[in-house]
Amino acid sequence: MPEHFLGIDLGSSYTKLAVLDGSGAAVHAAVLPTRSRRRDDFERELAAIRERFAIRRVCATGYGRRSVASDLQKTELVCAAAGLALAHPGRKCILDIGGEDIKVIEADADGGVVDFCMNDKCAAGTGAFLVEIANRAELDLGEMSALSRQSASERVMNSFCTVFAMSEILGWKLGGVSAEEMARGIYLAVVDRVRRLPIRRELPLFLCGGVIAYHPALADLLRDNIHADVQIAERPQYAAAFGAAALARGAGGGLER
Amino acid sequence: MSRLRAQDRLKAALQGYYAGLTAPVAWCSSVGPAEILYALGFHVYFPENHGALLGASRTATPNILRAQREGYGEEVCSYLTADIGAYLAGETPLTGAYGLASVPKPDLIVYCTNQCHEVAEWFGFYAREFQCPCVGVHPPRYVDEVSESAIAHVVRQFEDVIAAGERVTGARLDRKRLAEVVDLSRRGAELWKQTLETARSTPAPLTFWDSTILMAPIVTMRGTQACVDFYRETLEELRQLAGAGTAAVPDEEVRLYWEGMPIWGRLRKLSDWFAECRAAVVASTYCNSWVFDCLEADRPLASMAEACTRIFINRSEDAKLRILRELLADYRIDGVVYHDARTCGNNTNCRFGLPRRLQEATGIPFLTLHGDLNDLRFFSEGQTRTRLETFAERLRPRGGPPAHREEGFPSPNQIRAR
Repeated sequence: MPEHFLGIDLGSSYTKLAVLDGSGAAVHAAVLPTRSRRRDDFERELAAIRERFAIRRVCATGYGRRSVASDLQKTELVCAAAGLALAHPGRKCILDIGGEDIKVIEADADGGVVDFCMNDKCAAGTGAFLVEIANRAELDLGEMSALSRQSASERVMNSFCTVFAMSEILGWKLGGVSAEEMARGIYLAVVDRVRRLPIRRELPLFLCGGVIAYHPALADLLRDNIHADVQIAERPQYAAAFGAAALARGAGGGLER
Repeated sequence: MSRLRAQDRLKAALQGYYAGLTAPVAWCSSVGPAEILYALGFHVYFPENHGALLGASRTATPNILRAQREGYGEEVCSYLTADIGAYLAGETPLTGAYGLASVPKPDLIVYCTNQCHEVAEWFGFYAREFQCPCVGVHPPRYVDEVSESAIAHVVRQFEDVIAAGERVTGARLDRKRLAEVVDLSRRGAELWKQTLETARSTPAPLTFWDSTILMAPIVTMRGTQACVDFYRETLEELRQLAGAGTAAVPDEEVRLYWEGMPIWGRLRKLSDWFAECRAAVVASTYCNSWVFDCLEADRPLASMAEACTRIFINRSEDAKLRILRELLADYRIDGVVYHDARTCGNNTNCRFGLPRRLQEATGIPFLTLHGDLNDLRFFSEGQTRTRLETFAERLRPRGGPPAHREEGFPSPNQIRAR
């Protein structure tokens, strides 16, 4: 059986698994909720992958990178940069909005990290924030993106903190603000969180991470408000998992690190 | 963390120091006029050292909450809140470590606001609690260079400290004895500086994590012969290790600078995590803050005034940049780690753009870690490790450790081109 390489991205909300073949082509990707106590689903998926592919090396990433067996562990920033280099060559900035944090990575053409910045210990603007606020606003997470596109309102949720934002949304609901306007206002709050991060305007900005996979309207708002050249990365939720697989494969350019 | 013979001697030295804390006792802030107090015949106790002990023994958090219940804010200095909380609970790590039933009762309290305003509130609490005389020294703050008028201003306030001390002891200050104590302080500080400078060697024989432990005598015993003796032997040991090429971090690949307060409750973990990244923290502002190389026995009060006004924490942002720039070159630093300590704005130097200005001036990248000196609720293990590992990866160019910048710093254009 030809050899394959597995990347496991154990994020705070979801675990992503990605497989590359010996030539570096993507052959498999899967996502499942990260559950520390019930690992059956994860173990089953892992067994299925090992049955289908001869896995030569495994690289783990994400906050849980030390909790699974692997040949090497790299941070999700290093892996996101490596993952994006597979489909999007060239120097770039990467905005990775995950379940618990927001990261900006400046990457060189080989997929190496040149500089990076992470949000402080605060969930505002992250996936956890969106889940909480959408729930309080009684918005369906799956519909939020489409809803927001039906509004042109400039109403922004001002609160800096998830707890304050929940009371602000209550005020909006009681004040009769439409669901469309609420959805857009919540995204604009995320845009404001991103606005304070150091993003180099002369480089293209690629978006990845779970949040952008499910909220593509956010990309349009970022393009209108922050950076003219915003692109959604190929398979955004799997960027770090494929990057990990690429590092496990250890071939080419900057990826051997 | 290194296994040094000095650590065993440290225990004995501190046993002696704590056993000697008998009346009359003066409490003093860490960079206050301890020399005057020793010369007056006081035994000197340092509440900040106690705050650090509470942190290092991981007993700070419940005590912080206790102080907060008494009306101290969540983002107030966690040395202050941990120390006052422990006092209110009648607890001290000195009992387990050195057999003291409680912290020694003060006969005089002296502080210097060269480091922050918080010491005034902290020491003021104990002045009320013990009904004890309390004198504050207030040098000009955030100075760029230290002026003669600033020195004169501080010397006048030292005279007030002397007068207050003489009222407690009933005896006049022996000025000859003061000159001797200042000379002992100078010698201790000089040896401490040379000890830190052994980390200029590549590989470094000691790291910041070792130094935060080895610094106890220069903080608590400055101005005593025991302090001089401790660092004379420590220096000899470290010079031997440096000469033999002994590395504190096996396979040292990157050399880092730590800017800001230690995270006392996580020293061991941080030491391990940095070592896993083959990153040696070879220099720090914190440990260098007790290098008082301007002390002079023949102008004791003026040179003490200069030393306490000139410390890093009391300087302008421009002066801090100049000092850091020199240290980064001296220790051939590859990257700077800033600790943004939630409850210590005064000793957090990454909130006014300094990291970017220093990076532009030197080309040396930086990382900010969020945490706190004592309140571990502000510290995230996962975020810290992710930042640190990514930073180390970034500093390590393909094919081996970074080239050290011995040829001088690159020009801003070269930096932009990177």
